[in-house]
Amino acid sequence: MTRNEPSTEIEYAPCKLACPILTDAREYIQLIAERRFEEALTAIMSQNPLPRTCGRICTHPCEQVCKRGQVDEPVAIAALKRFAADGPWKDRLRQVLPKASSGHKVAVVGSGPSGLAAAHDLALLGHTVTVLEKLPIAGGMMAVGIPSYRLPRDVLEADIRTIEDLGVEVKTGVTFGNDVTVESLTGDGYQAIFLGTGLHLSRRLNVEGEDLPGVLKGVDFLRDVALGKPVTLDASVIVVGGGNVAIDVARTALRVGARDVLMVCLEKQEEMPAAESEIEEAREEGVAVVNCFGPKRFLENSGRLSGIEFKSCTCVFDEKGAFCPQYDENELTAMDADTVIVAIGQAADLSFAEKDGLTVTRRGGLEADPITLQTPIAGVFAGGDVISGPATVTKAIAAGKRAAVSIDFYLRGESIPRSEPAIADQVASLPPGVIERTRQFARSKIAGLPVEQRLSSFSEVGPPFSEDLATKEALRCLHCYLGARVNKEKCISCLTCLRVCPLQVPTVSKVGEITIDPFVCQACGMCALECPVQAIEISLDPGGEIAREVEKAIASSQHLERLIVGFFDLHGNFAKKDLKGLREDYPNVLPVMTFGLRRIDRSDILKAFECGADAVFLAGCPPNRDPFPEAGDRIKRRTAHARTQLEAVGLDGRRLEIFDMPDEGLVEKGSITELIQRIKEMEPSPLRVRR
Amino acid sequence: MITLEQKQFAQIKEMASHYDRLLVLGCQTCSAMSFAGGEREVKELASMIRMERKISGKPGDILEDAIARQCDPELVDLIGDKVRGCDAVLSLACGAGVQMLAERFPDKMILPGCNTTFLGVTEELGVWSERCAGCGDCILDKTAGLCPIARCSKQLLNGPCGGSVNGKCEISKDVDCVWQLIIDRLARLNRLEMLEEIFPVKDWSPAGHGGPRKMIIEDLKS
Repeated sequence: MTRNEPSTEIEYAPCKLACPILTDAREYIQLIAERRFEEALTAIMSQNPLPRTCGRICTHPCEQVCKRGQVDEPVAIAALKRFAADGPWKDRLRQVLPKASSGHKVAVVGSGPSGLAAAHDLALLGHTVTVLEKLPIAGGMMAVGIPSYRLPRDVLEADIRTIEDLGVEVKTGVTFGNDVTVESLTGDGYQAIFLGTGLHLSRRLNVEGEDLPGVLKGVDFLRDVALGKPVTLDASVIVVGGGNVAIDVARTALRVGARDVLMVCLEKQEEMPAAESEIEEAREEGVAVVNCFGPKRFLENSGRLSGIEFKSCTCVFDEKGAFCPQYDENELTAMDADTVIVAIGQAADLSFAEKDGLTVTRRGGLEADPITLQTPIAGVFAGGDVISGPATVTKAIAAGKRAAVSIDFYLRGESIPRSEPAIADQVASLPPGVIERTRQFARSKIAGLPVEQRLSSFSEVGPPFSEDLATKEALRCLHCYLGARVNKEKCISCLTCLRVCPLQVPTVSKVGEITIDPFVCQACGMCALECPVQAIEISLDPGGEIAREVEKAIASSQHLERLIVGFFDLHGNFAKKDLKGLREDYPNVLPVMTFGLRRIDRSDILKAFECGADAVFLAGCPPNRDPFPEAGDRIKRRTAHARTQLEAVGLDGRRLEIFDMPDEGLVEKGSITELIQRIKEMEPSPLRVRR
Repeated sequence: MITLEQKQFAQIKEMASHYDRLLVLGCQTCSAMSFAGGEREVKELASMIRMERKISGKPGDILEDAIARQCDPELVDLIGDKVRGCDAVLSLACGAGVQMLAERFPDKMILPGCNTTFLGVTEELGVWSERCAGCGDCILDKTAGLCPIARCSKQLLNGPCGGSVNGKCEISKDVDCVWQLIIDRLARLNRLEMLEEIFPVKDWSPAGHGGPRKMIIEDLKS
C-alpha cells in the first residue's frame, strides 16, 4: 500500500484511510454482521457526530477503495451506516456525557457540518458551546442546500438534537457581523470562536441578461424551497451546470412544478462533476442532460426571459487538468425556457469579514492556517467550505473536528499540534490468484421509490436496508488488516499456514521466513487454528476468545439442568430476533457466534465439555452463504476426531453433533430436538460441577 | 524431519495415572510439525486428561507447557522449576527428548506421550512418509536418489525381488516397490548401466549394529 507518508506501522484499512474523518468502517460493519446493531451505532457515533445524515448523503470515498471492489463490487458501506444509524435502537442509545465542564465558552458561527462537528467535539471535551445560525433553521447547507428527498429534515433534526443533548445551545436567526461580532462575543465571555459560515452565494455567469426576471440562482432557489417560501416554476426550465448542486436544482425543479427540465453543462457526459448515481436518478425522473454547451447570453422577450443562447464548448480542461473552457463562438444554439437556474458554483458571503478585521483570500474565502485552522486573529478559527472551497459534508465534518482539537489546545494554553491527517493516495492491488479464489457475493441492492411517487413529493428516494440485507451486506467485508499475524519468534516454518490457506496468501522465503500480507488476508482463521505452535493470531477474533466465551456462557447458566453449547456461523441466514427466539425456545442452548465454524478448534469443543456442557453442536451456514465452502469437509473431519477424543476420555461421542443451519433461521427444529432428546436420555455430564 | 505420533490415549492415561501432579510438555520442533506434541496438542491432551480424571474421580493437577526443543540441555533447563514442581512429566517429544529430560532431571519420572516413527518428508498437509533409515552410510548416489534401505520392505541392495508386481510391493498394494522406482528413474536419467554394479554385503556397523552411536566434531567440542 502506498501512502503519502512512510507509515509502514500504521495499517489502516483502505476504507478508513479514504474517509476524511478516518472512520473505521470495519468496526461497525462487523458489529452489524454480528447482529449487534446498537453497538454498531455506538461505534459510528464515537467517530461521526452526524451519523444519520452521513448515512444518506456522504459521497462514500470508502467504497471506491473497498477491497471487495477488486473482487466484485464494494461493500455498501454508506447504506450500512444508514441502517445502523436509523434503527429503533437509536432511541435507546445513551450519549457519552461530556467530561466535567472546563469553564471555557466557545462560539461556533454557522450550524453546517463543520460547525456542528466542532460543537459536538468541543462539548465532549467539556467546553460550553453556543452555535449561532443566521438562517431560521439549523443545519447549514444540509438543511437549505441538500433537498429533503435526499436528506429528510427529521433525520437532520434528529442528528442536531443529539448534539444539543450534549449541552450545545443552537441559536437561529443570529447574523454574524450584524447581531454579533468577534468583539461582542469576546465581551460576552467567549474565549474562542469557530467560523464555519460555508458558501451560501451563487456564482454568477457574468453574461448578458443574467439579471432578467426568470433567471434564478441555484443556491437561492434551493434555499427558498427548503425554507418553504412560495416557489413555483413554469413549464420549461433550463438548469445551467453539471455538478451535484445542478442535479439537486434540476430534481427539485421537477418537484415544484416544472414540466420539462433540461440540464446544460460544459462538460462531456463522462467529465461531469456530478456523481454518476445522481445523474442516473435525475434521468430516471425525467431530467434531460445536454453536454458541451456554455451560456453566451440570456434571451429577452418584452422584459422577461424567453430563453438562452449557448456557444459550443470544445474543451473544458487544459493539459494539466485545470478548468479552462474553450468555445467555438461561431456555433451558437438558442433554447427556449420560461426559467433558467444558474448552478455553476458557490461563493462565500463574507460581508462580515471586513468589520471584524478578518482577511479574505484571493479565491474569496477566509484566510486560515490549513492545518490548525487558526485565522490571523487570536482565538478565532475557521473551517469547512469557507476555507476549502466547495467540498463534501464529510470533509466539512473533518474540518470541524480538527478545529475542535485546535481550539481545545488553544484554550488550555498549549501549542497546537501540526500533524497532517493521513490521506490514501493508492490502494494495493490484490494478486490475481487471490481475486480468482475469493468467492463472489453480489452487493445488496434495493429499489428506490417509484418515479411517480418521487415527483409528487419530497419523500426520501433512497431506500433503507432491511436487517436481512444489512447483515448479508456486512458479511461481504473482507476484513482488511484484521487477518493473520505471524509471531516470528514462535514460528517454526512448518508451512502449515501455507498449505491450509484457501487463498494461498502466505509465502515463504529460502530461510523459511513466513510472510502473510495483512491487506490481502481475509481473516478466515484456518492458519491460526491449524498452526501447531500457535504462532498466528487473527485480529478479527484473537486466540482463546472463543474458549473464553464458552466458559463465560457456561458459568452464567449454572441454574440450567442441562447445558448445550451451540457454535453458530454468523454467515447463516438469521435475524437478531431468531437469537432471541432461540433463547426462548431452547433455553438450554448457549449460543456462541463465530465468523465461520472453521474457527472452532477441537480444543474449543473439549473446553466446552470440560466446563460441564452436556452436549456441543456446530451449526454451519448454508453452503450458498459460506465464503470458504471448501473448508466444510475439514470441519467435519475435525469434529469426527473430537468425537473419538471424547470417547477416549469416557464421554459418549453422541454428545457432539454437527449440522447445517437451515436456509432461514438458526436451527432446524428436527435436529435440535433430536439432540435434546438424546441428551435427556443420557446421564448428566459427569464433568459438571454442581453448586 | 523426525516424525512422531501421539500414543493412544488409553496408554497415556494408564502411564500417567500414578502421578497426581503432571506436566504435559510439548516440543515445538519435529513433534509440533508432526502434529503430535506442539502447543496445540498440549492444550488438547491436557484437557482430555483433566476430563478423564474428573470423570473417574482421580485427583491431581495437569500443567501445560512447551519448549522449542527437548533434545538440547540448555532449553530443557529453562523449565527446571516447573518440572521440579510436579510429580512427573508427560513429554510429547521424540525418544531423544524424553531421554534428555530424564538426564537433566534425575529425580523425576519422565513419561513418553509419543512414539517416534521415522525420518521422513511431508508429502502434503497431514501426510508424511519414510525416506531415511539413518544407516550411517548413504548410498543414494548409486540408487538414483531413492533409498532401498528405508523404502524396500526387505532392505534389498540388489532388487527388485519377485514380489514386485506392477510397481507395487507384495506386502501391500499401497506400497511402491522402490526398486521399480529406482529403475524407472535411472531409465529417465539414461543411466540404466548403473544397475550392473552389484552391491557387496552391507556393513551395518555405522547403522548402530556396532553399538550405540556417538558423533564428535573435534574442533567444535569444548
